[in-house]
Amino acid sequence: MNKTRFAAALLALGLAAGQAVAQQLPPLPQSIRDHGVLRAGVRCDQPPYGFRGSDGGFAGVEVEMARQMAAWAFGAAEKIDLQCVTADNRIPQLNAQRVDLLIATLGVTPERARVIDFSDAYRWGGSDLLVKKGSPIQKLDDVRNRTVIMLRGTTQALWFDANMPGLQSLRLNTASDALQALQQDRGEAYAHDAATLIVIAARDPSLRLVGEPFAIADAAVGLRKNEAQWGAWINAALARMKAEGLYTTWLERWVPAEIRQPYTDAFIKPRPTAR
Amino acid sequence: MEFDLAYLARQVPALRAGFLLTIQVSAIAVLLSVGIGLVGACLRVMRVPVLAQAVAAYVEFIRNTPLLVQLFFVFFGLPALGLKLSLFWSGVVALTLWAGAFQVENVRGGLAAISPGLREAARALALSRGQYLRLVGLPMAVRTGLPSMLNTCVSLVKNSAYVSAIGLQDLAGVAFDRIASDFRAFEMLAVLLVGYLALVLSLSAAVRLLEHRLQTPFRP
Repeated sequence: MNKTRFAAALLALGLAAGQAVAQQLPPLPQSIRDHGVLRAGVRCDQPPYGFRGSDGGFAGVEVEMARQMAAWAFGAAEKIDLQCVTADNRIPQLNAQRVDLLIATLGVTPERARVIDFSDAYRWGGSDLLVKKGSPIQKLDDVRNRTVIMLRGTTQALWFDANMPGLQSLRLNTASDALQALQQDRGEAYAHDAATLIVIAARDPSLRLVGEPFAIADAAVGLRKNEAQWGAWINAALARMKAEGLYTTWLERWVPAEIRQPYTDAFIKPRPTAR
Repeated sequence: MEFDLAYLARQVPALRAGFLLTIQVSAIAVLLSVGIGLVGACLRVMRVPVLAQAVAAYVEFIRNTPLLVQLFFVFFGLPALGLKLSLFWSGVVALTLWAGAFQVENVRGGLAAISPGLREAARALALSRGQYLRLVGLPMAVRTGLPSMLNTCVSLVKNSAYVSAIGLQDLAGVAFDRIASDFRAFEMLAVLLVGYLALVLSLSAAVRLLEHRLQTPFRP
């Protein structure tokens, strides 16, 4: 009873901080403060969100978000311990307490919500299909009766399982395997996050995007279950980033102007409806 | 997290398909690799010029490189050399080549274990080398080599789980897929262990039956 009331109070505090007093962040939980640094899991292979910059250091919009949180939590952006996580080890890393939050292109799904908690969404992310330039595939439905390459455990794999059962799929473990398989015609399309595919398509003139959005999911910060106070702090920080227009600054820093529009939309515009 | 039987029940159709694929891939690879073993061992023992050396090089090459790398090479590397096998056959060929190398050595070991007296007796009866191998050598070699050949077959069935790395939806592929999507690692890994255990135990039982039959002429 007491616990519930406490949680409700914290939630109210979080909401208030998000809406009215964006400058005021709720108190940092003691368990986080004790580390003295913000321990964040970010991606290292997902430009422009989290990747290795030309100097080998952490770079990208989600890395900026983590640094900003460190600045607000501990007074300096350097007070951060960033760790590379991958699509399939990020949730185990979080639950094993190696990091205290994930800002790692993490889409909100019911399956994941069973094992971790999510913050409020900070952007949405759609999916797309990458095909060879001369491919006859023009829209999503064209992939029925063809082989689609996808990575295990991704939102796209879940979407095709639910929406096109019986589709021929080739399930691989890494993005480089998938790209290799597409180039060797092991499959006719490679389904993945649009954000990732845009970068690949811009770099490789022999490939193009199909461009019909599907499987749109919210991306949120991941945190362990039963850490309501920490969740409220993160939500307040995310609201403050939005209110202060920081996303726009970071996108200008990390995304080339010619492909920036879709990324800006994902952070600023409301989530569109799609299949 | 507790063991969720209802969840497992929903995954049965996918797991069954994966199990059947594992059996299919393993069975074809077992048969082909035993064939490679018999032919390869004969070529080596008969010292057929060029071919004997080629078999020796093949055996060394396969035994000294990781199976996972061989598998990726067959799937991603061979197309660059102009040989593009389907997903299924990439898996079968990689497993066959891997197990074949060990079977060559198993059969060769069986041939080497035959007493020199038998070989001399065959020569005294004017049997050619080919006749000796066909009528005396191989039947004896397979009998003595059977335990180690079974060992290789068991390894092949277990190593067939590697084919999930190139995207084949075998038993392991299906289970890894579900783990990545649903985070039910406990249930799925339990299914994997039980599934492979059942497969290997039935294979061993079948070979014991065969062993029993092959020993019939030698029982009093």
